[in-house]
Amino acid sequence: MRILIVDDEPLNRFMLKHMLEQQGYTDCYEAENGEQALDIAREIDPDLVLLDVMMPGLSGYEVAPRLKEMAGEAYLPIIFITSLEDQESLVRCLEVGGDDFASKPFDKVILAAKIRAHGRIRTLSKHVEQQNQELRFHQANVEHQHDIVEHIFSNAVVNRKDVEQYFDFKVSPAEDFNGDVFLCESSPKGGMYFLVGDFTGHGLASAIGALPVTRAFQAMARKGLSVAEMAITLNNALLNLLPTDMFFAAAIVEVSTEGNRFTIWNGGLPPMLLKSADGRLVRRFAPRHMALGILEENEFESHCDIYEAAEGEQLMAYSDGIMEITDSQGRMLDEEGVTEWFLAAKDVTAASLYDRALQYLKGEKPADDITVVIFTCQSLLSLRDESLISQFPFTVTSTLQPHALRQETVLEPLLEMLNSQSGLGWIRSDLFTVLTELMNNAIEHGLLKIDSSLKSSPEGFVEYYMKRESGLAELETGHITVSVEYKPHQRELYVSVEDSGDGFEYENIPDDDINNAFGRGIMLLRELCQTVWHENGGRKTCVTMTL
Amino acid sequence: MSIGTKVTDEGKRLIIKLDEKFDFGKVQDFRLAYLDLSEDINHIEVDLSDTEYMDSSALGMLLNMQKSLNERQFSYSITHCRPQVARILKISRFDKKFEIS
Repeated sequence: MRILIVDDEPLNRFMLKHMLEQQGYTDCYEAENGEQALDIAREIDPDLVLLDVMMPGLSGYEVAPRLKEMAGEAYLPIIFITSLEDQESLVRCLEVGGDDFASKPFDKVILAAKIRAHGRIRTLSKHVEQQNQELRFHQANVEHQHDIVEHIFSNAVVNRKDVEQYFDFKVSPAEDFNGDVFLCESSPKGGMYFLVGDFTGHGLASAIGALPVTRAFQAMARKGLSVAEMAITLNNALLNLLPTDMFFAAAIVEVSTEGNRFTIWNGGLPPMLLKSADGRLVRRFAPRHMALGILEENEFESHCDIYEAAEGEQLMAYSDGIMEITDSQGRMLDEEGVTEWFLAAKDVTAASLYDRALQYLKGEKPADDITVVIFTCQSLLSLRDESLISQFPFTVTSTLQPHALRQETVLEPLLEMLNSQSGLGWIRSDLFTVLTELMNNAIEHGLLKIDSSLKSSPEGFVEYYMKRESGLAELETGHITVSVEYKPHQRELYVSVEDSGDGFEYENIPDDDINNAFGRGIMLLRELCQTVWHENGGRKTCVTMTL
Repeated sequence: MSIGTKVTDEGKRLIIKLDEKFDFGKVQDFRLAYLDLSEDINHIEVDLSDTEYMDSSALGMLLNMQKSLNERQFSYSITHCRPQVARILKISRFDKKFEIS
């Protein structure tokens, strides 16, 4: 322990120093007056000061507060050594910052005991100060890291504004970080997807999962995957990622271009509610599955609810945060309460539900993240960004030989190629029907010359397709040429399919009667395409489709 | 199998559920789905909720099912059609023979 002795009397200093050395304190410094005391203290950072009161220049009363100030947060014990004995002087010693006093002539044993006692406090204080410093450092570090994470979150967990504008939503985390997630993204098929989810707990630990979920959701949405595929993929990803006591309750919804057809997978999220335009409850979409990140792939169920709503109806999804709020009597709002609030009026907004929740809590803070998302059924046609339509004209031509034609999936690579062009994905269902129709026609009639009238009877129908299979299996010569030309300027797709057969009398295509088991193909082509015509003696069928 | 079947409504309703594609490749599977039906069944529902692609042979299969089961007085429905699929059924006037939703 480093001790500073301050006294103008050399004899006093000598006696004190001698006494200290006897007690084993050898690291002692001496100052003759107040100014020198301050200088030395600044230099040596003493652990304890023995301070005389009456000195020329600065008195002990003046030196004590300055020494204390110099010591900062740490406890620097100051023991006044004084010949003054009146009450007032002794009280003053303590008032100016002294911690103790010893009267002259001092009692060696008592003074030594006091020094030891204050020394212990000093050691303790230094220890605490060191820990405080570490804590402050740690806290600054954590804050810095939170800032970084917050920055990443605010950039990574974002929805496109043009998609988000279709929703009325309120997302309110209980802490800085949100364990609730609301995501939405348009679909390349037209329409869009949205996801409302809730990780176990709240705060940073539960928010961290939002990053991979957001990335995966957005990537899958852009590819136009089905809701069931999304659920399976997210489940597998989270199963690997999350600790066993953590999971992700979520509802994934696909909304059609018309804005009224919902495909819903709900795993563990409170029932979604559908409200009619006049404020009645139309339907509840209860969670049919366990939350994501619990079940193994072979146990996982991806079955979805499909529902067609009417224009103006409202679909609301919410996390359990609002359901679990309790009022001052300890009554939980629960699902019934949320339903009642939502149905209270035709025009209940997410923000008004949140405000009502705060009133219900009467100033208490919500214990969990609160998320309310409302979608009003409306056409999503404007999500089709016309400017995204590919401006790149192209022609794909392929001549298919028998071995290629034998494969059922022969057209798939071509369809995939076409669908991947932005804008063409919107008509992918029609494109499939048209290409398949043209191809089947060329195979079944052009190359294999199977008689359509076979299809009139149930037995013949089966026979027809057996003939197709055996005919294709035996086919050695012949080919079919498929050609697709995309003209972005006209927003038109030209498709032709030509076979190496004998052609046919295309003027004699039968009328489109539903009871005719054939001729339906050409009827579909006429309806789905802008124009349909034949060339080359019926060997080639050409159509145009518009975007 | 790419086609799933399920009997509901106390054994009265057969649901045949197609996958993404309902085209000529399903001819055999689709026929198997309604072979050997129990006596109790009186309604056949074709669930197209997952079906995004369809061609005219699918229309043929649906009609053929009705023809094959002609002796039994079933009612039929096609459910959960996506807009594009519903359009094809409408173009082909299938609403005359099936209850479509």
